[in-house]
Amino acid sequence: MWTRKPFPIAAVHPFQLPLGLVIWALWFVAVYGGLSVGCAIATPAAEAGSLTWINAVLGLLTLVVTVGLLALARFCLMAARNEPRTERRFIARLAAGVHVIAAVSTLITGLPILVLPPCV
Amino acid sequence: MHPLRDKPRVGLFTFAVTAVALLSGCEGSQSALQPAGPAAQDIALLWWWMLGTSAVIVFAVVGLWLYAQFRRPPPASSEQPAPEQAGMRHTAAVDRIIARRWLIGGGLILPTVTMVVLLAFGIPMGHRMLPLPLPEAPLRIEVTGHQWWWEVHYPEQGITTANQIHIPAGRPVDFHLASADVIHAFWVPQLGGKLDMIPGRTNVLRLQADAPGRFRGQCAEFCGLQHARMRFTVEALPEEAFAQWVAARQADEARPVRDAGAPSAQVFEAHCSQCHSVAGTPATGGPDLRHLHSRTLLGAGTLRHDGDGLQRWLREHQHLKPGNHMPAHDHLDDDTLSALVDWLRRQQ
Amino acid sequence: MSEQQTTRATRAAVWHNPTGWRALTVVSHSVIGKRFMLTGLVFFLVGGLLAMLIRAQLAFPDQAFMSSDIYNQVFTMHGTVMMFLFALPMLEGLAMYMIPKMIGARDLAFPRLGAFGYFCYLFGGLILMASIVLALAPASGWFMYTPLSSDVFSPGVNSDFWLLGVTFVEIAAVTAGIELLVSILRTRTAGMSLSKMPLFVWYILVTSVMVVFGFPPLILGSILLELERAGGLAFFDVARGGDPLLWQHLFWLFGHPEVYIIFLPAAGVISTLIPVFARRPIVGYRAVVLAVLTTGFISFGLWVHHMFTVGIPQLAQAFFSVASMLVAVPTAIQIFAWLATLWGGRPVFSLPMLWVFGFLVVFVFGGLTGVMLALVPFNWQVHDTHFVVAHMHYVLIGGMLFPLVAGIYYWLPLFTGRMPSMQLGRWGFWLCFIGFNLTFLVMHFTGLLGMPRRVYTYEAGLGWDIPNLISSVGGFVMCAGVAMVLIDLLTHARFGRKAKANPWHADTLEWSMAAPPPTWNFDLLPRVHDRHPSHDAQLQEETWLPDMHHGRRETLGCDPVSGEPRQVIHLPANSWWPFVCALALAALCVSLLVRAYPLAAFIALLSVGLLSAWSWHNGLRKPHARALPAPDPLPMHFTGFDSPGLWGTNAALLASGSLFMSMLFGWFYLWTVAPLWQFPETSPLAWPLLLTVCLLCSLAALLYRRTLVRLRTGDGAALPRTLWAVAGIGLVACAALIALLRAPLDITGQAHDAVILVMLLYLLMHAGVATLATLLQLRRVALGYVSAAAPFEVPIVRQLWRYTQLIAWILLLVLIAFPQSWGVY
Repeated sequence: MWTRKPFPIAAVHPFQLPLGLVIWALWFVAVYGGLSVGCAIATPAAEAGSLTWINAVLGLLTLVVTVGLLALARFCLMAARNEPRTERRFIARLAAGVHVIAAVSTLITGLPILVLPPCV
Repeated sequence: MHPLRDKPRVGLFTFAVTAVALLSGCEGSQSALQPAGPAAQDIALLWWWMLGTSAVIVFAVVGLWLYAQFRRPPPASSEQPAPEQAGMRHTAAVDRIIARRWLIGGGLILPTVTMVVLLAFGIPMGHRMLPLPLPEAPLRIEVTGHQWWWEVHYPEQGITTANQIHIPAGRPVDFHLASADVIHAFWVPQLGGKLDMIPGRTNVLRLQADAPGRFRGQCAEFCGLQHARMRFTVEALPEEAFAQWVAARQADEARPVRDAGAPSAQVFEAHCSQCHSVAGTPATGGPDLRHLHSRTLLGAGTLRHDGDGLQRWLREHQHLKPGNHMPAHDHLDDDTLSALVDWLRRQQ
Repeated sequence: MSEQQTTRATRAAVWHNPTGWRALTVVSHSVIGKRFMLTGLVFFLVGGLLAMLIRAQLAFPDQAFMSSDIYNQVFTMHGTVMMFLFALPMLEGLAMYMIPKMIGARDLAFPRLGAFGYFCYLFGGLILMASIVLALAPASGWFMYTPLSSDVFSPGVNSDFWLLGVTFVEIAAVTAGIELLVSILRTRTAGMSLSKMPLFVWYILVTSVMVVFGFPPLILGSILLELERAGGLAFFDVARGGDPLLWQHLFWLFGHPEVYIIFLPAAGVISTLIPVFARRPIVGYRAVVLAVLTTGFISFGLWVHHMFTVGIPQLAQAFFSVASMLVAVPTAIQIFAWLATLWGGRPVFSLPMLWVFGFLVVFVFGGLTGVMLALVPFNWQVHDTHFVVAHMHYVLIGGMLFPLVAGIYYWLPLFTGRMPSMQLGRWGFWLCFIGFNLTFLVMHFTGLLGMPRRVYTYEAGLGWDIPNLISSVGGFVMCAGVAMVLIDLLTHARFGRKAKANPWHADTLEWSMAAPPPTWNFDLLPRVHDRHPSHDAQLQEETWLPDMHHGRRETLGCDPVSGEPRQVIHLPANSWWPFVCALALAALCVSLLVRAYPLAAFIALLSVGLLSAWSWHNGLRKPHARALPAPDPLPMHFTGFDSPGLWGTNAALLASGSLFMSMLFGWFYLWTVAPLWQFPETSPLAWPLLLTVCLLCSLAALLYRRTLVRLRTGDGAALPRTLWAVAGIGLVACAALIALLRAPLDITGQAHDAVILVMLLYLLMHAGVATLATLLQLRRVALGYVSAAAPFEVPIVRQLWRYTQLIAWILLLVLIAFPQSWGVY
């Protein structure tokens, strides 16, 4: 769709702009859906509090996604540094910002996993 | 004892507000700002803090805005800036610093700090309200919402009633909420938050009244024509009084119909017994009428149960609560109704 | 005549908008935008009248001049009219009017689609108005929770008016979203790269994407509920394996993004006005863009905060609680960017800025009560009380109405060539501001004092009497304010002081043209060098599309990122098709409403025919296909592979994809959570048949890909036989799907079977549309309209097959492979 399409999916491709928050959205669906499915198939005991397998899986997923998004942010920032064309630099830096926001959002939204029991 | 309950300041504050808010009559209040239980108290306190902080933020932001809009313009400078820079108040470098300060301080730090503080208080508070297992199981009451009345069962005590709930004061009570038709919501503002009653599910709401008293409840999920007239009352009794009440009701459950030979008994059998019951097996379809005369309200809160209230209700209920599912009793004349009312009173 | 005069005369002829009854054929964005706004205004007044009826009843306790039935219809329609018939159409109208002017285009990318959208909105709105007049209006609340809105508890046609009427109106929203999205990305003037776009354009871009993804869940929910009401299919009925909460999820998946869809364009207006009146560029352009992007996405993760009292586990609620507070951060960034801009500028006070100030006060307070509501324990007390009513009016009126009025006053010189003035305007503002706050500020306390929502009356002596009276008085004051603002706007539009060029010294492109602008906006499309084109002395140094010697409507097609011109887009002119097709759909809607299903089937077929005929007439015809482009430096859009039509198709497929994802959500949700969901012993679907359908669709997509590869090298010889093959494959696939649908599905007895039916019908619809499009394209190839010289329609049909293939395989996985591996069949 774009002439001289950057290949492979480069940090300067405008697809990077929504990518971070799309990943956040997918993580959110996985976590909310995973919680519901997990509680439906194997409800942990209420006394366990937040130390259950569900919390562990969801917490791990949260960490992985957060770190992945931060890595993507770094990838875009590095590319921006070496990019001579203004438009592409704008895209890469904006995308890096979006990735950081998505990473922070993932981490903060995932914090309750540390303290709350899953199925009550 | 709840840690936040002892602050006299809170009590005074709430009193001041509600005094202004014109207290209601003897059924108690429906105000969330007149908490009578630990959950409601937590929430009321949270509200006042949030209101105070919000007021400060609004005043600060609006104040800054007005100041920025109306302060005196700085003296004209000698340079000729570009047209889009004509309004710049500072040099580009200073401008960048100011921008960063506003965006990070106001745009990032302010909401984040507020959020963290709110969640740090709010999440544990919400957790305390959950019906988690307790060493001593709380009293269990099953409430089923109907269009437009409340069916109440005490499964362990074997008691059935409608529209009026008695609980012991000073200990938690678990309400198991269900619905027979559409979505309703069970809400007693003075005791705590609300929970929806959804067909196909049972939701559990834990409430506690700190001291004896009478509290109002109302359906809080739009449920059709008479959603506005779907009320109930909760009466919290001291422990012994509650035990006496339970014993009296259990005795009533076993006893048969009184005056079974009276003409009114036939009237009841013919016109009312499909949905209502005064003794024996519980009602199906309509509110159970055992101990009807102890109820302070009729028609799930439509009118007071005093004087000729019951007679009026039987005669005019389709005018008082149009669309309610009880068929009209126009074909019964006043004398029959009045005899029926007396007969019902004798079932006490 | 001079060169200039000829050109102007040609332009006027090519861009002419007829009057009289032929005005129904007009497609120009300025006219369509104004129509949306004026119709929206009429609906606003209707919604306001309904609000006054509510406040009149609630002014005193135990008062029921409206029976509970009428009252329930009144408050339901107040919400429905305001949300669906006023808020979004009004803002979309403003966007449709402004965007081409701001980005340097002559019109939007799909003018006829916009006109069609308007008529769908108008007819859908008229159908909903009919329900009020007939006292058959929906009465289950504007979010129509089931089982109350089901046929069991709301028999009669009332709820059907809502389900069919609102879905019809939503077509307008989605088409406007698609059109704005593609226009912003592909029709900007030379040099307007993404980083040089005005902020308002960024806001509308994000809003359009939100519309494309956010409306389909409600469309799906409405279809399912209507099928349940009219056909007895089981989706939300517990006894048959459904769940009423599914409706709530689908509704709020739409409902929450909807309020941000309403807020963002208004915030875009604020971001436009503040730099102009502060006389300096906005502080933190990039930060604001980031904030808008973030808001757009995160708003899709908040919907359960409308459902905190349904009994969902606390951890799940916590996710939504945290996300709901998180979204306050980008909003705060915007507010402080505005503040910083004022702080670092030399602000000028004016009537628009007075309304901006009103917005600030009201919206900040509304946003703060929103943060309060995001906290679950507090929510449990005030949910479904007048506190929420107060909050939502603060954010909607503060966050949408006040900026809208500010924007109308600001752009009045552009719309009408005349200036507003402070005299009457000041009174209008203060009456509105004071009236609004009187009505809704005390309402927060009314809710805290225990008054639930949606009650047609209340008892005396609960402390609610005085607050309700105050609210009602305030409502009448606000009514007077609205009237005064309308009078003010009307008198200034006619008799105001004539405006000089760019009276506010604004920097965006819409002020660089004559006011009111001609139909074609710009005589010459400029090259833009920075974010302040109207202040740019070199703006007219390099220009494009100076004349119309092709005798057709054209605008520039650009690269989506850099804004460099890539092609000339030929735009369709006035036509009866949008009106006729919208009328056919209206007839379909009415026939479904009265449950005349044979008639509805006939009208549906007729509609398909009309829509196909429209697309035929919209496509390239002989003279253009054969004519070589004149010595333009840019190719015409139909000679390439990357046309606006392809982008529009992709956007429409994204919307369809959102509908599909909502269906998948419904399937998994009911499977996991519905209390009485049951799987049969074996799947009722013959999986070999479904697999065949998948393979056929993949084959069709593959064949299209190969022919496209050849076309790119200039070889169009294989086109006819490939299309014959694909058409044949398509017909076989449709036949196979119809055979699949004849499986023994107990659609009225089991939710499991009903959901499968809907998913198969969806696949059939897509396969059918792809096959039909292929057949039409085959004919066009035979007539020479599509060839190697004019290949732009081929990638479009290919996209239809790629999407059909994708959903076919996903359905095979989700309906058969996954359940079997999980062991349920």
